[in-house]
Amino acid sequence: MVAAAQHPNIKLMTYCEVTDVSGYIGNFEVTIKQKPRYVDHVKCTGCGTCTEKCPTKVPSEYDLGIGNRKCIYIDFPTAVPSKPLIDAENCRYFKTGKCGVCKKICPTGAIDFDQKEEFIQEKVGAIVMATGFDLFNWDEAYGEYGYGRFKDVITGLHFERMSNASGLTGGKIIRPSDGKEPKSVVFIKCVGSRDEAKGKEYCSRACCMYTAKHAHQVIDKIEGSSAYIFYMDVRTPGKAYDEFYRRTVEEGAQYIRGRVSKIYQSGDKLIVMGADTLLGRQVTVEADLVVLATAMIPSEGSDIIAQMVGCQTDKNGFYQEAHPKLRPVETMTGGLFLAGACQGPKDIPDTVSQASGAAVKVVAMFSKDELAADPMITEINENLCSGCLVCKGVCPYKAIEEKTITERIGGKPVERVVASVNTALCQGCGNCTVACRAGAANLKGFTNQQVLAEVDTLCR
Amino acid sequence: MSIATEFNPIIVGFNCNWCSYAGADLAGVSRMKYPANVRVIRVPCSGRVNPSFVLRAFQKGADGVLVSG
Amino acid sequence: MKRIGLFVCWCGSNIGGVIDVPKVVQEAGNFPGVVYATDYKYMCSEPGQDTIIKAIKEHNLDRVVVASCTPRLHEPTFRKTIAKAGLNPYMFEMANIREQCTWVHSDDKEGATKKAVALIKRALAKVSKVEPLFESYIPITKKALVIGGGIAGMQVAIDIADAGHQVILVEREPTIGGKMAMLDKTFPTLDCSA
Repeated sequence: MVAAAQHPNIKLMTYCEVTDVSGYIGNFEVTIKQKPRYVDHVKCTGCGTCTEKCPTKVPSEYDLGIGNRKCIYIDFPTAVPSKPLIDAENCRYFKTGKCGVCKKICPTGAIDFDQKEEFIQEKVGAIVMATGFDLFNWDEAYGEYGYGRFKDVITGLHFERMSNASGLTGGKIIRPSDGKEPKSVVFIKCVGSRDEAKGKEYCSRACCMYTAKHAHQVIDKIEGSSAYIFYMDVRTPGKAYDEFYRRTVEEGAQYIRGRVSKIYQSGDKLIVMGADTLLGRQVTVEADLVVLATAMIPSEGSDIIAQMVGCQTDKNGFYQEAHPKLRPVETMTGGLFLAGACQGPKDIPDTVSQASGAAVKVVAMFSKDELAADPMITEINENLCSGCLVCKGVCPYKAIEEKTITERIGGKPVERVVASVNTALCQGCGNCTVACRAGAANLKGFTNQQVLAEVDTLCR
Repeated sequence: MSIATEFNPIIVGFNCNWCSYAGADLAGVSRMKYPANVRVIRVPCSGRVNPSFVLRAFQKGADGVLVSG
Repeated sequence: MKRIGLFVCWCGSNIGGVIDVPKVVQEAGNFPGVVYATDYKYMCSEPGQDTIIKAIKEHNLDRVVVASCTPRLHEPTFRKTIAKAGLNPYMFEMANIREQCTWVHSDDKEGATKKAVALIKRALAKVSKVEPLFESYIPITKKALVIGGGIAGMQVAIDIADAGHQVILVEREPTIGGKMAMLDKTFPTLDCSA
């Protein structure tokens, strides 16, 4: 993260959103919105006094609501940039006009309650989509796991936040309900993945491995603990993956092949009922904590960006690559590339590989000074063009412009307007050729004469 | 004497290169099956299909025209 | 007079296993303007492409039709091939007799053969009308935009930046790092994710 932040060639724009994209390969124009942080990051030294003194606490998004954060905050200690911002929705000053403690105590005067959103224009030649993933909302679909009613049924990401040394619990695994250390932990895989009825039909790819890692961490960190894993299949096709899974099994993780049919509360325990399909019988496990390996889905808002940049999506909303095998980091839109889980569920090694692949495609494009443009674009016969410019109205790429030409009629020069095609903007869709009543617009490579010849031959 | 009742129409498809032509390719990649009397002309966009192309197809004996994009 | 060359690909058994390729070559080869028609096991292979180049030179062809897979796959390949033989790369048309014929009609060999002939004749009709086209060149802004500052976005940005180009890395959250920064040690090596 620091490497990306400190690189002299990288302009980091956090708390920003792309709001508009126009142009074409090699020549995109993008508008980026800088959302107001209410903290001047030029003046701010990141000393953290404001965060300490802020009187308002709200649940932390970063810790998935397990812990709290202040209203002027940094997400986590190693955040980049490590300077705070104000959460205007919950801030007392914004809600009531009173407070302003942060402003009073800031030694550099960096707090600016009047900051507004800013729009920044940039010209770029290539765009890489790396919008990542979100987790499937299991609590809306899985009634048998309690629809999120039980505090001690958590997701794998919750588990990560707990076992992370810089997380809220400082790396200690606890039950969210009472803070006690769980002795018996049940993991359920494929929650939302490989489940056409309630979730997604695809496999989320990373869950088998991170669940094995979680089970290992439970056994490793909690003395006398047991870990039970309900699974459909164990999929470990990666370098050193199966060895890792085997090690977890040898450490004592108990893998049970089958689905969980019901979880219910009994005292302070969660009773997990499921099937062991290998033994062909029902099993019941008393658990202190249940961890769900939920499916990866495209990140929220990725569909809006897709429309903006003209990126196709598949039926699950993941960005569609140009070819599943041969062009996995390119899209059907020239100059637009894909990296990471926005294209489909991926683990870290695959994400890094694909990201480097996308980078090479961009660099290869930048290695030339000019791009060869497809010559299959519209051509206007100026002799036939009446200058009505109906074509201009139907062009989706704003590629048609007015042009004034001079002709000699009866020996006198006469000026008139005709349509003219911007060869860089024209994408060769041919809409103008159909709109043109005079038949002056024709599409090179798909001319009227060519298509008619095709029709004639096919119908014979 | 029997009269051949089998109707074997000629169907001409105008498919957009970026979507339905790719879709027709995908049908092939997925080894789906459909009757062999559909013949596709590739166009860069369904917006390229001039109504005169459709009329010409019927004029020349097509029984059906599919414009998709 | 136009001098068309027709090259029908077997694609191993993908095409050759369904339709009667020699019959197709013979029937489609009667199309006006076709001066040379042949078939080959794999047209896109090096010997296949050499067949095309040799035929262009020997038979003085001025335009070419290849009947094989979808043009979305190998059109650029064959355009380069004919350009090597000195033709304008746009004096070319493909007939899609794999994805849109043999793969979908493998249960109707006769119908598929008939359709293949029709599709090839379509391509021949089109190629009779094509004219040389010339590419224009557009400038490139050598600066990249990366949308998303998780592990994928950061890796892309660093790699492009290391190659000496400017990168704008946009992240909607207050910090970069994405989901990865939330994780503890990661498999299979159990090292730190940050």
